[in-house]
Amino acid sequence: MKFSRNRSGGSDASTLTLRLWDFTGTAMLNLFMFLFFIAYLSPLPFMVIASLTPSNQFLDANAPILPSERVTFNYEGKDLIVYEIPTEKGIKHWALYKPSRQSSEFIDPTNPEAGPIQWKGSWRTLKAVYHFKPTLNNYKEFFAVTKLPLLLKNTMLIATISEIGVLLSSIAVAYGFSRFRIPGVRYIFFLLIATIMIPSNITLVPTYFLFSGHMLNWIGTWLPLIVPHFFGSAILIFLLRQNFKSIPRDLDEAAMLDGAGPLRILISVILPQSVPVVTTVALLHFFYIWNETRFASLYLGVAPNLQPISFGIQRSQSFFFTPEALMVGALVVMIVPVIVLFISQRFFMQDMIVTQIEK
Amino acid sequence: MAVSYQTREALHVKTPKLTRLQQEARIGLLFLSPWLIGFILFKALPILAAFVFALTDFQMRTPEATTFVGLKNYIRFFGDVDAGASLFASLSYFLITVPLEMIVALVLAAILTSERLKNKGMLRTLIFMTSIIPSTSIFFIFLGSLEYADRLIFTPLNLPPINGFGLLIPFMALWSIGPGFLIMYSAMESISKEIYEAARVDGAGPLARFIYITLPMISPAIFFTLVINLTGAFGGAVLLDRGYILSFSLSPMEGYINDMMFSQANLGYASALAWVTFAVMMTITVILFRSARRWVYFPEEESHEV
Repeated sequence: MKFSRNRSGGSDASTLTLRLWDFTGTAMLNLFMFLFFIAYLSPLPFMVIASLTPSNQFLDANAPILPSERVTFNYEGKDLIVYEIPTEKGIKHWALYKPSRQSSEFIDPTNPEAGPIQWKGSWRTLKAVYHFKPTLNNYKEFFAVTKLPLLLKNTMLIATISEIGVLLSSIAVAYGFSRFRIPGVRYIFFLLIATIMIPSNITLVPTYFLFSGHMLNWIGTWLPLIVPHFFGSAILIFLLRQNFKSIPRDLDEAAMLDGAGPLRILISVILPQSVPVVTTVALLHFFYIWNETRFASLYLGVAPNLQPISFGIQRSQSFFFTPEALMVGALVVMIVPVIVLFISQRFFMQDMIVTQIEK
Repeated sequence: MAVSYQTREALHVKTPKLTRLQQEARIGLLFLSPWLIGFILFKALPILAAFVFALTDFQMRTPEATTFVGLKNYIRFFGDVDAGASLFASLSYFLITVPLEMIVALVLAAILTSERLKNKGMLRTLIFMTSIIPSTSIFFIFLGSLEYADRLIFTPLNLPPINGFGLLIPFMALWSIGPGFLIMYSAMESISKEIYEAARVDGAGPLARFIYITLPMISPAIFFTLVINLTGAFGGAVLLDRGYILSFSLSPMEGYINDMMFSQANLGYASALAWVTFAVMMTITVILFRSARRWVYFPEEESHEV
């Protein structure tokens, strides 16, 4: 570190000062980052809290932040709501028995035998008493309405099939770009980069027309969501190609001397050295498929039983959910990519490293 | 495969030079063929078609009824105040979000390269995590947390209520820094420590080292991040796709095009608008690439063997 060199020399006092300095700096930096991350990620815990909150809690502006329920008191077979009442003897928690504008009657839950107590003032100005009680009702409501297993099955099938297609073709094409002398390959590669930059809005209408009843008649099937991936994805090809190019050619040549053909070299020389980047690319594609909603809405809007999870949940969100049940939906959709990311972070983070720079 | 050709010669394989090169090119093209076919089917032909559609009043339901209108759609854009306002709003939106994303990602990357920081692997994943959260979720996470921000911060401090959509833009920008952060972080990690050591011996402080060493050394990564942010902002392909919020678009221009496309079924005009957006984006990109020669440091030019 910065002061490590000075530490060995110098007097004891200055070493101590420097160490203190060093320690303070480290502590401050870690504290700062800790606070930053608390602020940066704060919406996530709030989402979990909201998903556990009873749906009428936020209608009351005085309700607490954490999921809670109004305290009630059962009196003569009725559940009465308990309020905080300011009296001469301090604040009392009494249950509202007979509400009225000017003065209301209350029951003291600790002493119900005493009967109703008169209190002057508008009961509407009183604060209700809450106690902490998370609820699973939002989850029940959400799972009752959403066909989650079906949506999940659809997404997993689409993801698996298109993953196979996109990996096979992208790896082959990236290999072609990185290892062969082809006349004009520079221009083909430039075309590939150019397709990354073309906004999807431009090709949207013609592509829809191609898949519509006028031409291929694929609407209401998974084909429009799967087949294009079997021709490779430009951005993934770019990432793979950058990585393949960084692998030294000596091994290729050694394999070639042993009589290996191009396909053999790809499988037994290039791929074993490219596990991190292939994993990265596979994950990027998985996140894409999982999050994809636009094409699903265009091509599967008419086929409710074929819809993938993101679109299925986004569609049902607009129909019939309370804000708290929406939180459950949001949580359910995001949890899988987040888990996948955390499981795979070891591979995922590494080899974006070589893949960047120079176009 | 220059060497392979030598090795074959060394093995006395008798094949004429031209055929060998041709054969290599042929095998190479075979490997490229999936993308080439896909490019023609799903990119080149649709782009060509979009170009033609923009010159017509394309009718999706009854293609026979389509008539050729010439440049009318483009002329209409110049008279369309809404389209101009949307385009302007989109541009100003990128002017806010792209620099915000870049600066926050750069600062975080610089902090994370510090050796004093603990749990770096975890922090890196957490920064990245926010960028993979599906759009389906993110909108509701944001709206939900606004409610809490209101109760915890704004109401107790007697601040005016929050303008949700005003905050949504920086929020989305901050939660999309993942790929840019990772690219710049990796670039910083790959700078050799000796350069820093040499500068430190020469008396350069941390800030000077950051400005005179880190920034120039990672300028290709900064440039690459800028290009992918720009591409993503204008609706091109992105590294990490969080999908679409169907009922709502962050980019006003995109929203306007979608409205023309889906609500008004004005497909020819929508295509023309998409081309106008693309032209604006290409202009900015070309300017960026031109300027790159001045501020991006390329260690060695990539040699293209053709």
